[in-house]
Amino acid sequence: MKNQVMEYASGNEMAAIAIKQIGYDLMGYYPITPSTQIAENLDIMRANGETDLVMVAAEGEHSAAGICYGAAVAGGRVINATSANGLLYALEQFPVQSGTRYPMVMNVVCRTVSGPLSIKGDHSDIMYLLNTGWPILFANTVQQVYDFNIIALKLAEQVKLPVVVAYDGFFTSHQKGRCLRFAEDEDVRNYVGKKQEEYPFLDLEHPITVGSYMNEPDIINNRYQLHLAMEEADRLLPQLFASYKELSGREYGKVEGIHCGDAQNMLVLLGSSYDTSIDAVEEMRKDGQRVGAATLHVLRPFPGKELFELIGRGDNILVADRQDSYGAGGGNLSLEVRAAMQKFGSSAKIKSLVYGLGGKDFFKEDAKAMLEWAKDLTRPDFAYYGVTAAEGSTGGVDFKAEEQPLFAPVTGDRTHIGATEAKMDEQTKQVKVTGGNLNAVTAMPGRIAPGHGACPGCGIPVNLNLLLRGIEDPVVFLFQTGCGMIVTTAYPKTSFKVPYVHNLFQNGAATLSGVAEICYRKQKRGEIPPGDIIFIMVSGDGGLDIGMGSAIGTALRGHRLLIFEYDNGGYMNTGYQLSYSTPLGAKSSTSHVGKAQYGKTFFHKDMPKIMAATGIPYVATVAESNPADFIKKAAKAAYYAKTTGTAYVKAISACPLNWNDKPATERKVIEAAVNCCYFPLYEVEQGVTRLSYDPEKSGKKIPVLDWLSMMGRTRHLQKEEYKDVVEQIQQEIDARFLDLKKRTL
Amino acid sequence: MEQIAKKSGGLRGTLESGKEYYEIRLESIGGLGANLCGKMLGELGVKYLDVNSSSFSSYGSEKTGTPVKGFIRYCQKEKEIRVHYPVVEPDLLVVFHQALLKDDGVWKGCSQDTSVIITLEPRQDQPKELRERLFDGQIGTCYGLEAQKIAMESHSRINVVMLGAVLKVMGIESLEAGEQICRDTLGKKYPDALKANLEGMRRGYEEVRLLSGKEAPGDKAGAKAGVDAKDIAEDKLAAKTADKVWGYDNAPIGGINPRFGSTVISDLSPSRQGYIPLFIKERCINCGLCHSTCPDMVFQFAKGEYKGREMMVNQGLDYYHCKGCLRCVDVCPVNALVRGVESEHPRKEYFIPNQELLRMPKYYEEAGSDGYITSESYLTEKRMEGGEV
Repeated sequence: MKNQVMEYASGNEMAAIAIKQIGYDLMGYYPITPSTQIAENLDIMRANGETDLVMVAAEGEHSAAGICYGAAVAGGRVINATSANGLLYALEQFPVQSGTRYPMVMNVVCRTVSGPLSIKGDHSDIMYLLNTGWPILFANTVQQVYDFNIIALKLAEQVKLPVVVAYDGFFTSHQKGRCLRFAEDEDVRNYVGKKQEEYPFLDLEHPITVGSYMNEPDIINNRYQLHLAMEEADRLLPQLFASYKELSGREYGKVEGIHCGDAQNMLVLLGSSYDTSIDAVEEMRKDGQRVGAATLHVLRPFPGKELFELIGRGDNILVADRQDSYGAGGGNLSLEVRAAMQKFGSSAKIKSLVYGLGGKDFFKEDAKAMLEWAKDLTRPDFAYYGVTAAEGSTGGVDFKAEEQPLFAPVTGDRTHIGATEAKMDEQTKQVKVTGGNLNAVTAMPGRIAPGHGACPGCGIPVNLNLLLRGIEDPVVFLFQTGCGMIVTTAYPKTSFKVPYVHNLFQNGAATLSGVAEICYRKQKRGEIPPGDIIFIMVSGDGGLDIGMGSAIGTALRGHRLLIFEYDNGGYMNTGYQLSYSTPLGAKSSTSHVGKAQYGKTFFHKDMPKIMAATGIPYVATVAESNPADFIKKAAKAAYYAKTTGTAYVKAISACPLNWNDKPATERKVIEAAVNCCYFPLYEVEQGVTRLSYDPEKSGKKIPVLDWLSMMGRTRHLQKEEYKDVVEQIQQEIDARFLDLKKRTL
Repeated sequence: MEQIAKKSGGLRGTLESGKEYYEIRLESIGGLGANLCGKMLGELGVKYLDVNSSSFSSYGSEKTGTPVKGFIRYCQKEKEIRVHYPVVEPDLLVVFHQALLKDDGVWKGCSQDTSVIITLEPRQDQPKELRERLFDGQIGTCYGLEAQKIAMESHSRINVVMLGAVLKVMGIESLEAGEQICRDTLGKKYPDALKANLEGMRRGYEEVRLLSGKEAPGDKAGAKAGVDAKDIAEDKLAAKTADKVWGYDNAPIGGINPRFGSTVISDLSPSRQGYIPLFIKERCINCGLCHSTCPDMVFQFAKGEYKGREMMVNQGLDYYHCKGCLRCVDVCPVNALVRGVESEHPRKEYFIPNQELLRMPKYYEEAGSDGYITSESYLTEKRMEGGEV
């Protein structure tokens, strides 16, 4: 047994430690809750020089999977971590990797698949992987997360298949407890051994083709090879568990059970719930009840025989699923347990319960209730456990009065306050906006109600309000995932007083295109009243990284809608990971500052320029420090969005929490971003570029360092050692501003 | 001070009595560092108290102004902790922010066996909400300390002050273990901040005091303090949630929410950190800049007359939704909005609830808003160490 030390850590921390100890070559990733901390922890180690792992922050999970695949093909040791919709977004890549037989390891930190969007833990994501040809290990404790990460890589490289290590989001990923790790990285590395490549891709002397075009009769043979590899994994796993036991002293099997030997009633469940069931079973045993519980550490290859040997001789088995294969009469686990029990000849009565969706807590009492359910003949053999029909009043309050609307609907007759007007000037072919007076626009009824949960001083509602005060036509919203959506729509409340739909942030602009088309059609048919409606897609928190394709597609089609980006310079809704619009040098939870790293290493994306290149009629940048300009541009954008095509407006949006500055003075920080020309105010109207405000002419231009020094995330750049970094930023900003000015000529 | 440990039973007393776990629940608001406090308490158990422990927070995390719960479990060293659900019936409840005392959810699962630590305003004895609970026998022994004041004076943060208080009430004999965990967590990189935090923790440990308990003479602390039982009953009713709870029988399909604008019933005042904007109407020129910078739609403008001109006129502020960011104070060109200490203004002048409401909701519910962010902000530790903000 090798020397080990104790850690007080969470599942995500232990995964990161294992990854660091193994010494992977590359991690391709995209942050998604609750898996994000793995990359964050590794980035800290990177910044401190503890690992030389190459970390590539992709612009979406699909790309992350692609980066991983490429790196695996090229012969690297590769790791990824994801969850829920990120996993599904990348799904098509997984059979590519297993079908072409390139090993790697991916941690799947299990979370509910949207929608409605939920960030908490269940198994609705992992079950989508059952048919992808990846072996899947499932860890139910923090210790197992560490151990299985090490075993997984060895398995992957021996059978030449990519392998998943899955565990419960939050319950296992975030809860901290005591566990052990090897004292020396060497011991881990010796165990996994050196990577062997059968057909080295980068051997130019012996070129190979990967990913042939293959139909019948060949593809079935390729698939059969994959099947054989899975069978090989099934044979190998006991050996790997045994050799790992020698190393660690910890013994694992494909399945695990407690008191199953003589149990009449048994519970089968995955993940942390099994852990909790152990306590329940022990307590019931003390009362003389013959009960047991079992779990699977391997979902693929499915250990049917081992499971039968463990539980097959019981009278009643209840399989609890933390997901449902809707319409199949159970979740995937129970379907497979039923099939295995039948195959191996069990006569047990099997029932299924769907429980714990969306991270609903699983108590010891629940395990006990399920064991009672298992033997109760009057209980159905499939049901949802823990659903609520409806809860009554708690304080003698009259429901009916409470269900009356709190507000009058915000219809066009109320929003046409006559404070701002946009009109086409037929001579110049440019739109002229009048009004926009800050006092006058206070008359605009709120389309968004107060009571939202944004942090004190947050820029998102400020920017949304300025935008909306300049738009007098009725509006329909689509928000992509992000802080703006999270803080306004936490069920059962909503801040929106106008029609609103959320979609995930790969797809907002496209979704809103569909909404707009049906609106036009319904208006044409007279099914809804005629009149202009402004369709507004709102995104931020890096939503135009992963959603850029959809936004550009919409722009190229010329769909008549307004894309509004609040650029807060990071994935703030998940705890500030770097986005492509984070400034160079800024620290974030995936671009830490340390002796080996100075913060983010590439420049912020120039999204307005990208959107302008699509040839849409209107592109503008706005800032709350110039509120009248903001409101007028909103009116202009709305004009183009209802008459001509796509309009794109981008605001720089303060995030006091993650910019690490004072909420009270955010407007000054925004003003400085404008004055240093990091965020120049301009518009591109029908191909004509105009500066809205020139800090140079007004004598207000400041060096970029003045702005960077105002925020905690970039304050370290003041130090002498980062002079070069600041110089780079200044040069880039100056070059972009010069280029912008040239376009105004 | 010895009295404190004896009264609570403490960590060791509880575990030796054969109870499976000694459980702590932290009730806080994002930004006060309860998450880190919970982590330190958990780690402390495994590393220095010779027990087993586990900890997690309510996955709401450090978004400022959002309610956060922290859960810590201790058990005998040999035992594995296999339960992963929140602490339902705490042995010790720690409330980091006084505004939370009015939230019913904070008190869930408490009983005569629950010890409670709360933060106090300077020279404050017992907040009304606490007296009510004691009166009803809903909680056991109560302790309090002027955590905010101690944090400010020692240049530390409220979470280390509370950590010190928790260690005291847990019956930990010396601060040595607490000091160790502070060093481990805060690192050696910031010796100055570490010193301040150690001082804050020490003062928390020493200055936490017994407010009243089940053993207190006269027992009915509420009655002693002159609280009328009828007052209590009425206040409680007002704190109850008004809306019908949706379930599968009555919720619109697909998670659709037709209650448009319903966040307006949230009371966000607990998000404030002690300061509010005060409105000096005589100075106001109705420029609208405050309205343009307020993230929380607090300013209530209505048609009116100013200097003989018809225009929109600022009527006042909807303090239900003011989170105290003070953006408005910063932009006001004529100092018509100034910073005030909230506790000095229990009755706020120009308090105008949202004018667009068709009816006043009966109840403003819940403390703070709903959280989401699930990673610890990279700044958490930074703030802990040096407090850049």
